[in-house]
Amino acid sequence: MRESRLMLLQYITALLAVALVAVHLLTQGIIYPYSTAISFGTILSLYRNGLYAIFLEALLVVVLVHGFNGVRIILHEWRQTAPWSRWVDIGTVVAIVATVAFGSKTVILAVFGGASG
Amino acid sequence: MKDLKLVVQRFDPVKDASPKMVEYAVPKREGMTVLDALLYARDYVDHSIGLRFSCRQASCGSCGMKINGRPRLACYTQVEELGGEKVVAQPMDNFAIIKDLVTDLGSFFDKHKAVTPRLVREDGEEQERPTGEYLMTPGELSKVLQFTYCIKCGLCTSSCPTVATDERYPGPQALTQAYRYSADARDQGGAERIAALDNSHGVWRCHFAGSCSYVCPKGVDPALGIQLLKRHVMTGKPPHAKDEASKVWKAPESGR
Amino acid sequence: MSSEGGGKARNRRGLSGWLNPYHYNFERWAYVFQRVTGIAILAYVIGHLGDTSFFVGGPIGTGPSQSSWTFISGIVENSFGHLILVLVVLVVIFHGTNGLRLIASEMGLILGRPASIEYPYKPRSLRLGQRALIWAAIILAVVGAAWAAMILFGGLA
Repeated sequence: MRESRLMLLQYITALLAVALVAVHLLTQGIIYPYSTAISFGTILSLYRNGLYAIFLEALLVVVLVHGFNGVRIILHEWRQTAPWSRWVDIGTVVAIVATVAFGSKTVILAVFGGASG
Repeated sequence: MKDLKLVVQRFDPVKDASPKMVEYAVPKREGMTVLDALLYARDYVDHSIGLRFSCRQASCGSCGMKINGRPRLACYTQVEELGGEKVVAQPMDNFAIIKDLVTDLGSFFDKHKAVTPRLVREDGEEQERPTGEYLMTPGELSKVLQFTYCIKCGLCTSSCPTVATDERYPGPQALTQAYRYSADARDQGGAERIAALDNSHGVWRCHFAGSCSYVCPKGVDPALGIQLLKRHVMTGKPPHAKDEASKVWKAPESGR
Repeated sequence: MSSEGGGKARNRRGLSGWLNPYHYNFERWAYVFQRVTGIAILAYVIGHLGDTSFFVGGPIGTGPSQSSWTFISGIVENSFGHLILVLVVLVVIFHGTNGLRLIASEMGLILGRPASIEYPYKPRSLRLGQRALIWAAIILAVVGAAWAAMILFGGLA
């Protein structure tokens, strides 16, 4: 892939992350008082309002793609041997898929899973 | 006047295990440059100090070195502007050391050559045996003029954090020249030039730390050139299309 | 310094070129902080995936679980955890605002145009246009972190 496509991805995820993280920070302390924002009941009702679950999923994907692509850039700048370059690219994809899958599991179970005490 | 403490990093990779700092006392005089001080030490104290210089007036780019921690031209740095008491001269970072203050600029020039730093025209015959001139308006000239002042001293590349680890990165000097030629109204090679920089060790390894522009002794502002280049690499479109380059202009047959 | 053949000695700065901006310009310091905060934020996010998973019973949970959430809250909701959160707010706001400066700069939007130069040379790209945004990033980060500290430590929770 042309490196400029990956850089465009980095810029777009950056702009989205700025917007989504801003909303996240506001939700956690300003819109709700902090103690309310982190209470089980509040989070459950927010998750079950579909829009918030979609917001969290978007935040998850955007931040992890941006973060791991950033690490990929740093690692490419650090070493330049052919095997290193190949494993950095493969590792980046694996890291993004694994962490997004793990985070998505939380979101999906929070929305659809049966609640327990 | 008190003598100047001139500290020089001495290191001959063939003979020495590691570099050592050697101090020389140099009598100060008004207007003395670091190069003057180094030449005094070499002429009157130790003939074996290795340094490279030529023009003594910031035109040739031979005497680039790290002076008091920052890349500068020795001929263009006055002792007084460094406080006038102690001057520490070391070879430039990011270049292999040949001896003492002399560094190997070979790979630096190779990277410069690799960006096709010349006007490229589709009509090679016309370029080789010109029948006229390629004109440039003053406005077109101002887009590239400051980047043409590069003297290839290597200070920018020695200051660059990416070059510090990435051996395949072209470096600020080469990237700026890639922009300088692509933005030249007479050039038709922009598309190929920018495509060659769109890889994982190309223009995107610049993160605008700006140190290149900070140390440039000629006001070239490499960081500006590189950032202006990025937009063109992103869109894949050079600053102008091939058919928008200046046409061959021929003097009218009569009326001269 | 290792030998590089032909009797020459390698002299690349290596990681100190990334991490040590001493002797260089303000933008170089911003570059270092952008890189360090980026890695720190990613580390936090990965940890945050772990702690938020306890809302559904932990990494191998099956659905929302109040006891599991109470358990993890007991671990992270204390003065040390809140101090981490304040630092995260600080570096996130800096990284985001400084990142906007970088995108605008890299697309050539706020650097000015090439022009004829005069002695003494002052690089156009290192002038206030983009540099003001580094200050904005610092100020916003400090204000945001102070706000977060007031919420978490000042009884506004």
